[in-house]
Amino acid sequence: MQMRRRIVQALLGASMLAAAGPALAEPITLRALMEDVPETQIIEKLLPEFTKETGIKVEFEKIGYGDMHDKLVAQLVSPESYYNVLEVDFLWAGEFPAAGWLEDLKPYVEKSGFDLKPIIPSMLDLLGATKESLPILPMYNYSMGLIYRTDLLSDPKIKADFKAKTGKDLAPPATLADYVALSKYFKASGGDLVGAAMQGQRGDPNAMEFSNYLFSSGGAYLDAGRKVVLNSPEGLTALKLYADNIQNGAQQGALSATLDDTMRLMCAGKTFSMVTYWWMLPQLDNAEKCPSVAGKLALSVMPGGHGESGGWGWGIPKNTSDESKAAAWKFIEWVQSKKISVARALEGHAPVRSDVYTDEAVLKKYPFYKTALDVVASGKSFPIFAYSAQYEDVLGTQLSLAGGGQAKPEDALKAAADGLTQLMNK
Amino acid sequence: MRVLGFADRDWRTGWAFAAPGLLTLAIVMGFPLVYAAVISVSSLTLLKPSLFPLVGLRNFVIVMSDPMFWGALWLTVKYSLVTVVGEFVIGLGIALMLNRTVTMKPVYFAVLTIPMAMSPVSVALIWRMLLQPNLGIANQLMESLGLPRIDWLGDPGLALWTMAAIDIWQQTSFVVLILAAGLAALPRDPYEAAEVDGATALQQFWYITLPMLRPVAAIAVIIQLINEFRTYDLPYILTKGGPGNATEVLSFFAYRRAFLGLHLNEGAAASFVLLLIVLGLTILFFAVLERRR
Repeated sequence: MQMRRRIVQALLGASMLAAAGPALAEPITLRALMEDVPETQIIEKLLPEFTKETGIKVEFEKIGYGDMHDKLVAQLVSPESYYNVLEVDFLWAGEFPAAGWLEDLKPYVEKSGFDLKPIIPSMLDLLGATKESLPILPMYNYSMGLIYRTDLLSDPKIKADFKAKTGKDLAPPATLADYVALSKYFKASGGDLVGAAMQGQRGDPNAMEFSNYLFSSGGAYLDAGRKVVLNSPEGLTALKLYADNIQNGAQQGALSATLDDTMRLMCAGKTFSMVTYWWMLPQLDNAEKCPSVAGKLALSVMPGGHGESGGWGWGIPKNTSDESKAAAWKFIEWVQSKKISVARALEGHAPVRSDVYTDEAVLKKYPFYKTALDVVASGKSFPIFAYSAQYEDVLGTQLSLAGGGQAKPEDALKAAADGLTQLMNK
Repeated sequence: MRVLGFADRDWRTGWAFAAPGLLTLAIVMGFPLVYAAVISVSSLTLLKPSLFPLVGLRNFVIVMSDPMFWGALWLTVKYSLVTVVGEFVIGLGIALMLNRTVTMKPVYFAVLTIPMAMSPVSVALIWRMLLQPNLGIANQLMESLGLPRIDWLGDPGLALWTMAAIDIWQQTSFVVLILAAGLAALPRDPYEAAEVDGATALQQFWYITLPMLRPVAAIAVIIQLINEFRTYDLPYILTKGGPGNATEVLSFFAYRRAFLGLHLNEGAAASFVLLLIVLGLTILFFAVLERRR
């Protein structure tokens, strides 16, 4: 009898525990595929704060840029995406919404009262925002500029040698041609120093790098009517200078180098300059990480006045649960708020909010944010359309052929322009 | 009442034992293969994810009328031949040495299988760091020996062969294992007879070892040929097909069509061409082998 009572009590207890199941349900976990760059690490440090405030856990899976697109696409075409919050590059801002993979964030903004006014308008445009919809909310910008060594430019011996060889005063370059000439001078001077750390690997690395040369020399991919104008005298000048710098100013192996390779080279003090993302400056100007160059670096807008503008944004996949979508928006809203954006900026974040660039605490710690704002404001964009990622590869192939001396710049430029026209007409 | 004969029962038992394996094969290999075949004749792209309308061989025509396809095919053929020959020659040499070794054999085998046990992606990443032209160990070693630095992966004339050398480094151990097993299984009698007849070691190798090893060697070669034709990981990690098109092999071409070009149908068509080539080579190889037997 006593035995039976115990069994009944045990069954009752088990039933009550089972009934209490939903109340003890696991909290939502947001998962995002993130590029393995400083910006991601900055946000990652702040994640415990978000979890403490909301109870929502966020996990970042960090990988190199080159692998991100394929991994994301595989998830976005599946019945349910493993990633329930997305980091979306501006190069995919044509493709992802066109494929119908992203939630429109406009209703989320309206419902939560998130203020879009402080966000730099060009960043919203870059990521495909229209009056009707907001597929991607800007996360950070990666406009590109020139980072160079000030100690080399102020070295009396180098100054004298440069004057003797060129008849000119050694100074930061004012034009693209000046820059390439300076780069070649440093490489020709011997030793293990080169003029430019270049990311010439075919695809995204060289397409992004070349865009700076194109915009600096006054060229463009498209005109105001979205007609292809890449094959122009300015475009040819840009490509000739690009190939010249790869061959005579850059490090050995530039044609297979990526962003990581250029970072390592600059950090090791083996290059005069690099055309790169402006937020690389605080990473390089760091006595602990890069003692060879810390305190010896400066940032400028690309010589010629315009560099490549780029940016990442946040998106929410359509193929995830409503609960995850709500949690994802809560996270996006939090991470892009002014408070968190300033906290991120104090760690070296590249803001998309104008009020962060003018924040006193930020400017006190990083006076160069004034220049950074110029870099962002003067930036121009790579063509954004459904086949942008493919165009990077088409252009990258031609740049690589020209850079390696396997194709004449004239032929490579024509092929690159024809490729763009074909893809735009698809 | 019909009584089942031995043959009937064997037949049924055979199928019963084979069924789980065949079913697994049908699910993990048959279904993807058929689905890929359907995609290759469909209008499926990542932007318009619908199989219909079916377009027949149009995707094959599009892919094969691209000059880059033929360039990629030629590179794949060159790459596969060089790597398979390299792996076979080095692998046979090592297997012959191991066959004569008496002591520490398990240690040698364990060491030899390390590259094979590593994933191609890890191998590519490790070699990419070693071959980094400015900060990598390979060039530092070259410099310390008084040799010039080499642009291993950035030189259009060298990149494919650097990639082939890395591939040979990783895949040779597989060939060694197969050939060593084949050598160990060879009968001793012909060698003893040859020694009595006064045959030299080279003659024994040429007239006894090689002919008797042929079936095993053929298996090793055909498996490696299939592997090399499908090489994707190394160009993806090491060069992204560059510099220019210097390392764009056929599988990478198919990947670009499918995932950068968003045309899964064209990518599937390119993959099917690759499959047909490999299938054709396999049949040809076995036919030649059979005729010689």
